[in-house]
Amino acid sequence: MAIYPSSRDWRLANTDFLRGLTSWQVWTLMGVSDIRQRYKRSRFGQFWITLSMAVFVAGIGLVFSMLFNQAVSEYVPYLAVNYIIWTFMSGVVSDSSTAFVQGTVFLRQENLPKTVFVMRVLVRNLIALAHNIVIVPPVFLLFGVKPTWAIFLMIPGFMLMVVAAFLVTLVLGILSTRFRDLPQIIANLLQLAFFMTPIMWRVDQLGGQGWWVTHLNPFAIFMRIVADPIRGYVPDTWDYVSALVVIAGLTAVTWPLFARFRARIVYWL
Amino acid sequence: MPSIELVNATVDFPIYNTRGRSIRSTLLRRVGGAVSTADDGVTVMALRDVTLSLQNGDRLAVVGHNGAGKSTLLRVFSGAYEPSRGSAEIAGKVASLLDITMGMDPELTGAENIILRGVFLGMTIEEARRMIPEVVEFSELGDYVNLPMRTYSSGMTLRLAFAISTARAPDILLLDELISVGDNAFAAKARERIETMMSRASILVLASHDPKTLRKYCNRAILLSEGRVVTAGAVDEVLRAYGITDEDGGL
Repeated sequence: MAIYPSSRDWRLANTDFLRGLTSWQVWTLMGVSDIRQRYKRSRFGQFWITLSMAVFVAGIGLVFSMLFNQAVSEYVPYLAVNYIIWTFMSGVVSDSSTAFVQGTVFLRQENLPKTVFVMRVLVRNLIALAHNIVIVPPVFLLFGVKPTWAIFLMIPGFMLMVVAAFLVTLVLGILSTRFRDLPQIIANLLQLAFFMTPIMWRVDQLGGQGWWVTHLNPFAIFMRIVADPIRGYVPDTWDYVSALVVIAGLTAVTWPLFARFRARIVYWL
Repeated sequence: MPSIELVNATVDFPIYNTRGRSIRSTLLRRVGGAVSTADDGVTVMALRDVTLSLQNGDRLAVVGHNGAGKSTLLRVFSGAYEPSRGSAEIAGKVASLLDITMGMDPELTGAENIILRGVFLGMTIEEARRMIPEVVEFSELGDYVNLPMRTYSSGMTLRLAFAISTARAPDILLLDELISVGDNAFAAKARERIETMMSRASILVLASHDPKTLRKYCNRAILLSEGRVVTAGAVDEVLRAYGITDEDGGL
């Protein structure tokens, strides 16, 4: 077996991607059904997503503002935005390991584009994000946080984050289907990443020697370009450059891997 | 024009999680396709060097013992398995009725399931929605269509699945045994519907153990054994090679 993808492999991978994107009806419906199914028959339905987020932010916000010696009115909004963005990022990464395994019945029977299952994971997590983000306006109102025009910078940051999320889901989805130990490793690393990313703590608490933690950690980079604008701060240009570098790196790994092993995914299920 | 072209198509499944010799010796030559033991683990060769060309009007019967590779071949035809060696070019809209309940969700209502499956069949959400009355009428679900599918009896679920799966005529139809659903009255209706679908399809592939069915619907046949095509030709000829004489009605 060849190690490098052939020109046919590249062509089929690109076709898969285009067909995958244009089958938006399929992945939207799958993503929505995933959410519906999870909360069907419960009284609050999918608003449990919102509710659990609100409880977490309120509880942790109160305790950690005391722990860190910070005003509740500053800490709670800070935590709320960060934790909501983090929930999206970690949700995508942890769901990525089951992206293809979850679609086994479909993949074994029909010739659906593989990227459909990647988009499904994104849709599912975007819906959850939409349910969580509604917490932010009341929190900002309650604690008197005024957004500035910088909030519009959230849009490019968010788009970059979604592109990265697509690539991460694809690459981890492929690898986790082949190597079934990977989901466990990912779950472990995610937990570590939670504490190594400025979500509950602030960058300035870290001090100068921890520069690498916040600048080489991709979660922290995407956190800054999405969360900072929401809070009214303009992210550093370097943050955008870093995000683009991360995306370029991901593409350089993901696309050849996808081209080479796209057809094999179904054999590994 | 719909067509299927297989050239030396081979499908081999690497089995990564079995290690050691015990599985090798027990699996070897008992059931299923050939199991080869390369250095890097066990590989199940589900299909080996299958070369086949199907054109408009071909009705192919696929016979063979359990594990001979019939289902795998159907899945190659559906485009789900791309051969690990060789090539498979499939042109045309394929419908595989291998698992008619595919993608149906018991928590969703009948109507929601119709939309979900319709979209998988390549319809837009709007088109799928317009299909609901027709499917409800055929499956005789009545008001149940607005209840979650988990409240259905297994027969009702199958009727619904059948009605959805056969709602649109494909170019290439793949069947693993003739599906029979429901009680006598419904089964007759279902048979009629599937026969219409079969006659309208440009290419039909039918895997079955029943010689009567195969003789009735097919005009050419292949016999699979250990993933290879051992005999190909007219239906009677292939059935003889499989060990079924003309007089035998049943198996």
